[in-house]
Amino acid sequence: MSRFMRKMSRRAIVQALIALPALSLFRSQQPVVDADEIVEINGWILRRSDLT
Amino acid sequence: MIFNSYEAYKQAGFRPKACILGSGPAGTTIARKLGAAGIPVVVLEAGSREFSEESQDFYRGKTVGDFYFDLDITRLRFMGGSSNHWAGWCRVLDKQDFEPKAWAPDTGWPIGRADIEPYLGEVHDILELPDFRPDVPVSDDIRWVQLIKSPAVRFGEKFADELDKSRNIAVVLNTYATELTGDGKRVTGAKLWSNGHDAGTFAADYFVTCTGGLENSRLLLWSNERSNGGVVPNAAALGRYWMEHPTFQGGNAILANYSEFEVDASKEAFFSPTLAAMERLQIMNFGIRLIESPYPNVKKLIADLACTAPNMAEWMSSQLDQRLRCAAQLYVAWEQAPLASNQIELSKADVDHAGVPRIELRWKKSPLERRTLLEGLRLFGTTMAQKNLGRVRIDDWIGDGGDYPTNEETAGNHHMGGTRMGTDVLKSVVDANCKVHGMDNLYVGGSSVFCTSGQCNPTTTITALACRLGEHLGKVIAV
Repeated sequence: MSRFMRKMSRRAIVQALIALPALSLFRSQQPVVDADEIVEINGWILRRSDLT
Repeated sequence: MIFNSYEAYKQAGFRPKACILGSGPAGTTIARKLGAAGIPVVVLEAGSREFSEESQDFYRGKTVGDFYFDLDITRLRFMGGSSNHWAGWCRVLDKQDFEPKAWAPDTGWPIGRADIEPYLGEVHDILELPDFRPDVPVSDDIRWVQLIKSPAVRFGEKFADELDKSRNIAVVLNTYATELTGDGKRVTGAKLWSNGHDAGTFAADYFVTCTGGLENSRLLLWSNERSNGGVVPNAAALGRYWMEHPTFQGGNAILANYSEFEVDASKEAFFSPTLAAMERLQIMNFGIRLIESPYPNVKKLIADLACTAPNMAEWMSSQLDQRLRCAAQLYVAWEQAPLASNQIELSKADVDHAGVPRIELRWKKSPLERRTLLEGLRLFGTTMAQKNLGRVRIDDWIGDGGDYPTNEETAGNHHMGGTRMGTDVLKSVVDANCKVHGMDNLYVGGSSVFCTSGQCNPTTTITALACRLGEHLGKVIAV
């Protein structure tokens, strides 16, 4: 067991473990891009793939 | 028989059973049906055989609301009526046009498309049409429809000889009814005006007003006012629910392969929504007309696309190199929601030479129609992109909510409603047989009986309804 872990109370370790799933909320979201999605830009009705 | 004045007609001693007012597509068709059934009929035509400024002057009027054409320009007052400036575009209202739409109040006819289909063979002969091909689904939302451009039959020219030789039909030119008189059950007579003078009164067993989609309402409003409700006893809807086909350029399209749509001789193709798409988006019917773009417009369009989607623009540019024709202007004509507030009224300030009040037309396009224009273009553009048939650009004024331009087509010169067909006397003027509610011997022919306008030009449907009314009236009179 590391010195760091030895200094933490058992209670603090449990609280940290409970909080772990919430961290994913703060990750940058990477939306799945649908190349066939229809978008309207500057009056043009295009497929998203047209913009690449 | 054709007479140039009521005086000449009187001397001939002809005894008609029915009197038809107006010799346009509806009046001429009904007269020919009755004549063929052996029923003597007189047709009163306000104008002569040719256009004249003097005759057109009777059609002057005023429009309040949205910009519209001068009322003496948008229709014609001589033998053959407005068929004399008709462009010849033909299509019958779709089955779905007759159905009520839950999202658009006061839609739905008391008859269906099946009620006029038995007459389409006759209509094809009259209008010299080939058979229509069935609609082609382009997607679940968009149909590629056929709009036949016929030889534009001028009813006055085409049937003049036949009418002249007929023993059962008398056409009286330069003569019309300034008003009908009635007792709330029957029309008892008509006050005539012939060659610029009062010509006395005239009686017949049956009257059919076929004076056009504006004039039918004017005649009946004035007649009703003069006879204290004796001509249209249930007049709540008289003059109301008037409709046009607003028409504007809505955008442009670059097409992968223009010839894919087998465009017609004018290099135009037509598209309309499916009923499911109209229902989902809660919009009215519309027609998108593709017109081939001139070359400079194509280059401008591709340059515009290059600012948004450079690779797509490059591909389109290569299409242009290969095919030379790859772009189209998109014109949209749409169905107006029937609104009681769009109505024909009698002017309180201005009368014509015969003393009849001129028309004051109250006409305004509704927010539902504005949405139909925008969503219709989006629907078409989405289908084009999804199917990789091309790409659509919607004009800025539509997306930005700008005013309708005043330098565009504006509308189709299609005058519909005013004496609409229905079962509710508060919302209609004629019944399913085109007979005025509550009157035994007064019928209305023409597009003024339309309950809704659909998206197509009205002449084909007018002629079909006239065949149907002619047949019905023939049976009624023969009893």
